[in-house]
Amino acid sequence: MTPTPAVVVRDLHVRFGDVEAVSGVDLVAASGRATALLGRNGAGKSTTMKVLAGVVPPTAGEVTVAGIDAASDALGVKRVVGYCPDVGGLVPRATPWEHLQLSARLRRMDHWEERGRDLLERFELGDVAHRVVGGFSHGMSRRLSVVLAALHEPAVLLLDEPFDGVDPLGVEATLEVVADARARGACVLLSTHLRDLALEACGDAVVLRGGNRVAAMDAADLTGEAYRALLD
Amino acid sequence: MRSSTDRRGWADAARDTAHLVAFRARTVRRPAGTVIGAVVALALTAGFALGPALVNLSALDSPALDRALATLQGNLGGAFVGILLLAVSSSMGSGGGRELLSRSEAAIHPISPVTEHLGALLLAPLNLAWLVQTWGLLAVTALVTALERLPGAQLVVLAWVLAATAAGQALGWTAEGVRRTTHGVVVVRVVAGAVVLVVAGLHLAGALGPLVRALPTTWVAQTGQTSQWPVAVAVLLVIFLAAVALGARPAAWALGLPPREELRVQSGVHEARPAPEPRWGSPDRALLHRLDRGSVWRSVGMRRGLVVLGLGPGLVALVAGLEWSSVMLLPGLTASGAALLFGVNAWCLDGKGMVWRETLPVSARDVFDVRALVVAECTAAVSGATVVLALLRNGLPPLVVGASVLSCWAVVLVQVLAIVMTWSIRSPYSVDLSSPRATPAPHAAMAGYAGKLSLVTTLTGMFFTGLASLPWVWVPPLLALPFVAWSGWRLVRARRRWLAPAERARVVLTVAAV
Repeated sequence: MTPTPAVVVRDLHVRFGDVEAVSGVDLVAASGRATALLGRNGAGKSTTMKVLAGVVPPTAGEVTVAGIDAASDALGVKRVVGYCPDVGGLVPRATPWEHLQLSARLRRMDHWEERGRDLLERFELGDVAHRVVGGFSHGMSRRLSVVLAALHEPAVLLLDEPFDGVDPLGVEATLEVVADARARGACVLLSTHLRDLALEACGDAVVLRGGNRVAAMDAADLTGEAYRALLD
Repeated sequence: MRSSTDRRGWADAARDTAHLVAFRARTVRRPAGTVIGAVVALALTAGFALGPALVNLSALDSPALDRALATLQGNLGGAFVGILLLAVSSSMGSGGGRELLSRSEAAIHPISPVTEHLGALLLAPLNLAWLVQTWGLLAVTALVTALERLPGAQLVVLAWVLAATAAGQALGWTAEGVRRTTHGVVVVRVVAGAVVLVVAGLHLAGALGPLVRALPTTWVAQTGQTSQWPVAVAVLLVIFLAAVALGARPAAWALGLPPREELRVQSGVHEARPAPEPRWGSPDRALLHRLDRGSVWRSVGMRRGLVVLGLGPGLVALVAGLEWSSVMLLPGLTASGAALLFGVNAWCLDGKGMVWRETLPVSARDVFDVRALVVAECTAAVSGATVVLALLRNGLPPLVVGASVLSCWAVVLVQVLAIVMTWSIRSPYSVDLSSPRATPAPHAAMAGYAGKLSLVTTLTGMFFTGLASLPWVWVPPLLALPFVAWSGWRLVRARRRWLAPAERARVVLTVAAV
């Protein structure tokens, strides 16, 4: 049986002034599957993720996330998506617990505290739950961003460079979050430069280059040589 | 082992400062606008220095005016002291002084404390209070000085402003150094509180006025209006050079210590609180409101700035005995000062967290309204404190004056809010406000913002000061309506712009620098 597509992107274009960050990306990602988004710097991975998260509106093309049109209902998209941005992503003078509280309340979650506490413990952030995040290290901030993305068990989990600067325990916890999401039928899109970790976390792989999709395949088929060839 | 930066001389520091200024100048978004702004500032300075002298006040033959001029003449030495106090409080409030490069940007460069000191001195004039007070002193000096003595008197004023700024900077670095020692924050707070109490006590005892008049600043002010003005200028320039040289020592000391207060705030613990359940209004907004308020009050720079702005001008009004007619200008200026702490780039409160904030399922309307409310709260609280302190000094004003004060206050609050929310959406910047030395926008932009806000609110204050002399109490509120409507429309326009997804994305990505 073919899995239901949770993310459908057709001919996506995103322009910032004179710069075309994404030029004609096509992408389909299924529920219950994890898809790796790979590519060099500036390939359009993060911009595509931001469109899927409802942060950046598409300039042209069709983007549907869990059946919701991202161009016309960005708020609806935000309700079903959990997003870990590539850079920062935390309000500097708020605590982790305040971040979780805001995210949970705005998504009308009841009894979120136990899950929040559990996630913080899994990512070894329990001790700093009430400390403002401005003093966090880069790795701690990345881990908290993953926690925030996963808190509400979203139908679509978008992780942009979640392993960047994260220690091995944090990597393990992130891989667990991906596995949990797949197990409950969520669609996971994971953008990273680290091919080995992408292959470990994901079953499918999509490679972008210069704002275009250049390949979509089983992750297992993406050998080092094949990936290198696609990047050039 | 001493680092190479310790051995750097003043020449190297001056050269490095020039490199940093050139670097910042190259990153200015609108060079033409900056040049125009600088020309306008210089023209205004010339206008304040010369304009009042060209008005023939004696032709009016008004005893009241003569009395006012005599009072101004008598208080000129006190106004000189005011410049020094401002320089000290500004540099203390901004953690020693503004920085040419932010801490994170500067971390990879060998920038010596002397360079930091010179940079802070160069940036000191890009401050609303500094500009307004300097212009005010130039204007008062022009009013009370005979035309043939004016050039000398104004040169003395400029030399005093330089000397006071350098001395204030040196004291500011010293205070910052003390603040960075163990228990230093408490020491600085206790000393500052004691100074305020002593000044208040002297005022209540009627000894403050004579004491201020007995200070050497009275000699400086008087000498400026005589043929001996070159002596005063020479003395002040020597003081200026000495203060610049001496200031490098406390700067090096302070910058060599860890910023305790910032580190404490950055690792501050805030226990979990239940989600707010407001009696009216939406819980979402209440939660956003709490988060935004926390972003303001958990910042060392903003908290310190709001307290200084809330109490400083009000205490000056209290001590200097400003009448309601003069007080009318203060709410606009203090509201502008509060807006300059973060409101001119209101979205920078979220920093890089802006992207995450934008992924939350909450309407863009709520986000805009809450942020505008937090900016308005800060401007209203700060300017309100000024009004209350003026009320303590002057007692209840006559009805028409009271109506003018309230109308003026309401108008400047809406004006400032509309202007800064428009700027926040039109020209967002990515900044890190964790250091009290940081500003919410680049220095050139801040100077332009300060100039525009002070001009608009001062003109508004002068307009309502004029209305206060009319016999009709209904006139000020009636004439406030078009002002409020115009600013309200500008605010709605800024909100509409924020609601456009592409515009909002531009703001979010710029502020988060992604």
